[in-house]
Amino acid sequence: MASASASAHTSTRARLPSAAPDIYIPEDEESLVSQLTKHWLNERHAPDILPAQEELLASLLDYIRRQSDAVQLLRGQPSASEEEHIRIMLVQMEVERVKFIVRSYVRTRLYKIEKFARFIMGDATIQTRLTTAERTHAQKHAELTDAHFYNSVLQSLPETQSHLDDTPIFMPPMITKPDESRPVFVHALRDCPPIRFHEDLTLEMKRGHISLMPYSFIEQLLLRGDVELI
Amino acid sequence: MDNDYFSIDAILAENQKIQCTFKQKIPEMGHLGGGSERDILPQSKRQIPIWLAYIIVYSDWADFDIPQPFSNKVRNALRAEPRSVRLSNLVGAGTGWYVFGKTIMDMLGDEQGIEMSEMLVTTFKGRLVDVIDQAQHFAALGPVGGSGGGGGVDSAPQMFREGLDTTERELFVLAQESARRMKRWYEESSGGAKRML
Amino acid sequence: MSLPYSLRTSITPPELELIATQQLIEIIPLIAIEKTAFISGAFGPLQPPRKAKIPLWMAINLKLRKKCHIVAPEWLSVEFLQSRLDEEINEPGFSKLPFRYAEISKVLLDVASDDIQNTDKIRSLLKDLREARQAKSREGLDQINRGELSVSNLCSMEINEIRPFFVHAMGILTHLHREASTEDQL
Repeated sequence: MASASASAHTSTRARLPSAAPDIYIPEDEESLVSQLTKHWLNERHAPDILPAQEELLASLLDYIRRQSDAVQLLRGQPSASEEEHIRIMLVQMEVERVKFIVRSYVRTRLYKIEKFARFIMGDATIQTRLTTAERTHAQKHAELTDAHFYNSVLQSLPETQSHLDDTPIFMPPMITKPDESRPVFVHALRDCPPIRFHEDLTLEMKRGHISLMPYSFIEQLLLRGDVELI
Repeated sequence: MDNDYFSIDAILAENQKIQCTFKQKIPEMGHLGGGSERDILPQSKRQIPIWLAYIIVYSDWADFDIPQPFSNKVRNALRAEPRSVRLSNLVGAGTGWYVFGKTIMDMLGDEQGIEMSEMLVTTFKGRLVDVIDQAQHFAALGPVGGSGGGGGVDSAPQMFREGLDTTERELFVLAQESARRMKRWYEESSGGAKRML
Repeated sequence: MSLPYSLRTSITPPELELIATQQLIEIIPLIAIEKTAFISGAFGPLQPPRKAKIPLWMAINLKLRKKCHIVAPEWLSVEFLQSRLDEEINEPGFSKLPFRYAEISKVLLDVASDDIQNTDKIRSLLKDLREARQAKSREGLDQINRGELSVSNLCSMEINEIRPFFVHAMGILTHLHREASTEDQL
């Protein structure tokens, strides 16, 4: 906690007000909260499931617990001054703000995990981006819906027509997977290597560039942290 | 227009019928497309729903005609002024002109398919800005501004709105909802972040 | 459902406000508070009348309790906004504004208008800016195609407003595109 406090303090001092406002806060001294915020937004916008941030989440939950405990302890003291009151209120409020983001982040992933549960069970790559708990959830969800489909309809059909993983001709495959062609708004955090869309369209994003384009073109840049979704 | 097996819209779109001209005799199948004969005979024409037409056309049992909603007459009207065509009238209720067009485009060979694609894209782009303008105009009128706004009952904007295809309607709703969300936010007083919690 | 339908196509304006209020702002405290460890870092000590930098959400909270004055950022001034508006009207691209200017200016005007000079003029400049920029994103809609659309300097709230239909429209154009089959190209 001490080291985190110190770095936050110096970064506070280092940034002086200037006439030309710095539009983007430098990324190198990101607090855990801003890291989570970035992952939350990326997750909300990306059609695919992004790598889980288990460590980050664990440290934040740890902080939340400690701060809540501290608040409880201070609240118990009878003779708190007004200043002390406000201080406690602010700490409590920050805890609620962080909890909001944590919850929304987790729910966003859950939504995608349930939507793509069957796909996840058959795809080893996407599984590496999930936590153990998320993998278990995907499996249970896939089993539940399969059992439901089977019991309500499929068991009455001939064997050849009772599958849930066909890839019928002229039709989309039965298993829903992330639509990587969905466009996203992307912001370059640093100068990026050129992206080739088709023969006559190549784009080299400089730091600060903002663009709308299909997710598939920036997936690698996003995983590398060269860009963020906004 | 999503490519999902369980998409209800995609399933409904496949009920749209196209005219097939059979190339060979299909015994015992005369009832297809509402016929009363016992067999389907060569050169006979039938209205076949898309979901069934795929297999018939790809198996080379029949050819199909480019449906009326994409006829030369319609294409010429769209070339002249894409916004003056009432797309919703060209197809049956519950089906989209673009969704139907995309399906036909995928069934055509390269030359005709690319031509079709260009026609769909040009039409879509030629109408897009007006779709969004109108949606934002309606959102600005507030929640009760659903009727009458944007000119009288017979006004050009009203006619255009009524002629929107299902895909355009989706965009209209998205733009309208978004503009309303913004309006609400601008009008509400910030109690700061407290409001979030 | 784990995520309500309305949250799947976009971020809501209040959520963007929550993010924007993480940014730091300068205040003149009217209350003394010792240095405190928060999850996002240590802030304080607050010692009237010494200026301090704290997250905007904290500043708003103290302001609502009349425990601080907020020092308006330099860009939230008639001079700055007027120059950007001129640029917006005379230049083709979007003028450069703080990425979360819409959220921050709204919150500050709502909560701390007595700490800001010329609020009426600022409000009207912000409105003019917003409208001039909306007209430009409308032009962008005209240029949209299936590949890529550059919108540098478009700001957080503005992107969010156009997102649902820009994303959908580009998706449709992708679907309607037909590539010559590879056999023919050989």
